[in-house]
Amino acid sequence: MNDISEAFVSSLGLILFLDAELLEIILLSFKITFYAVLISSILGIPLGAFLASTHFKFRNTVVSILFGMMGLPPVVVGLFVYLIFSRSGSLGWMGLLYSPTVMIIAQVILILPIVCCLTFQIIESLHTRYHEFFRSYRIAKLKSVIAYIVDSRFELTTVVLAGIGRSISEVGAIIIVGGNIDHITRVMTTAIALETSKGNLDLALGLGIILLTTAIVLNGFILFLRGKYLNTSGSTI
Amino acid sequence: MASDNTQIRINDLSFDIEGKTLLHNTNLSLNGDGITVFLGANGAGKTIFLKLLTGLLTPCSGSITFKGGNLSVKTRAFVSQEPVILRRTVLKNMLFVLEKITSEKSTLAKELLSLMGLDKKEHQNAMTLSAGEKQRLCLARAIITNPEILLLDEPTANIEPNSTTLIEKYLIQKVRSSRKIFFVTHDINQARRLADEIVFIHTGRVIEHSSSENFFENPKTTEARKYISGKIN
Repeated sequence: MNDISEAFVSSLGLILFLDAELLEIILLSFKITFYAVLISSILGIPLGAFLASTHFKFRNTVVSILFGMMGLPPVVVGLFVYLIFSRSGSLGWMGLLYSPTVMIIAQVILILPIVCCLTFQIIESLHTRYHEFFRSYRIAKLKSVIAYIVDSRFELTTVVLAGIGRSISEVGAIIIVGGNIDHITRVMTTAIALETSKGNLDLALGLGIILLTTAIVLNGFILFLRGKYLNTSGSTI
Repeated sequence: MASDNTQIRINDLSFDIEGKTLLHNTNLSLNGDGITVFLGANGAGKTIFLKLLTGLLTPCSGSITFKGGNLSVKTRAFVSQEPVILRRTVLKNMLFVLEKITSEKSTLAKELLSLMGLDKKEHQNAMTLSAGEKQRLCLARAIITNPEILLLDEPTANIEPNSTTLIEKYLIQKVRSSRKIFFVTHDINQARRLADEIVFIHTGRVIEHSSSENFFENPKTTEARKYISGKIN
């Protein structure tokens, strides 16, 4: 118990005095999360909006596959991306394995279906209310998809935040494709796993506290947005 | 009822869904101006008929012609019973339906909002309007597209009396002279106030079509008499 309390105090010291190693790991985590969520949102939100507001022959099949992909095991994604980007893989020539870029790619594969499916669910309910109006005024497809996204902006912010939460706490895929290399691909989750196995609990705990704080702040922000949305529209998310 | 100003012809129009006929072969010649009210009990087929005219439903057979040609989608604007409001300001709701926003259209939007008593709320979030204000916004939004035909599906069904009065006054004073209006209602008194002609629908069939005066003074069918006397809802 003393070991844990000592490690806790030590970890607070690392945080308060902005330990260089800790800071580097945190910044890389946020950078990878930022790009992964940005790419997933740019691709996933319009795709989800399009699927929710359009009926075509294999739509249900596509939606079912995407929903199935929400539960992709991160280690399997990691392995899949590893095989593609390894020296003998089809994209091995790019030399991206064990780089932050390939970690972003793995995270996009994990987060994109989540962003897309949550967007689909939100916009599908809006589509039920809007589609007759859009049809009666001959609103162009692109304009209607943009309107769905704009009018769901509060709910979609929570989707993006959910993506951030998923991305920042992910470990299985990025440890395989990133390799947890010091100063290059070490992020909070992979560092926690490594430092814990080494018995270096103060750094692991320090990172854990920051990760936990990030999750709490994100959830708080989601609740704040939900309250704001309820006040302005009178509807539920 | 065919007259010199007949401009809308409905030929053998019918609509089925899952083997059930909701509108039987309907033939009508309607005035090209004024207010035509569709009356009938719940489930009679009034809204189906209106949505066929709007183009939201495709008929199983038959056709609708306007001024001798096809009823173009650009000539129509539809307002539903439940106001559909976009989550943005009142003014942006108005401008959304326009293909191109010009300064003239922006001015017109503000004028229409003023006529609807919404001029002080143009920058307000439209979601925060009352039910009646939302419906007035929907009507103004329909008018800004400059339709030749305005189709209104029980637009005053769930709104406060002052909004109903404002909408009726607006339709009679400002819209009726320049546009054809189709109006679905359950309210017999409202039909008396608004209608130039009545189309009475019963179980998916148009069983009476006459001027408002004739319909209320001298209904030809038993069903219409029962409806007017409140025996059918």
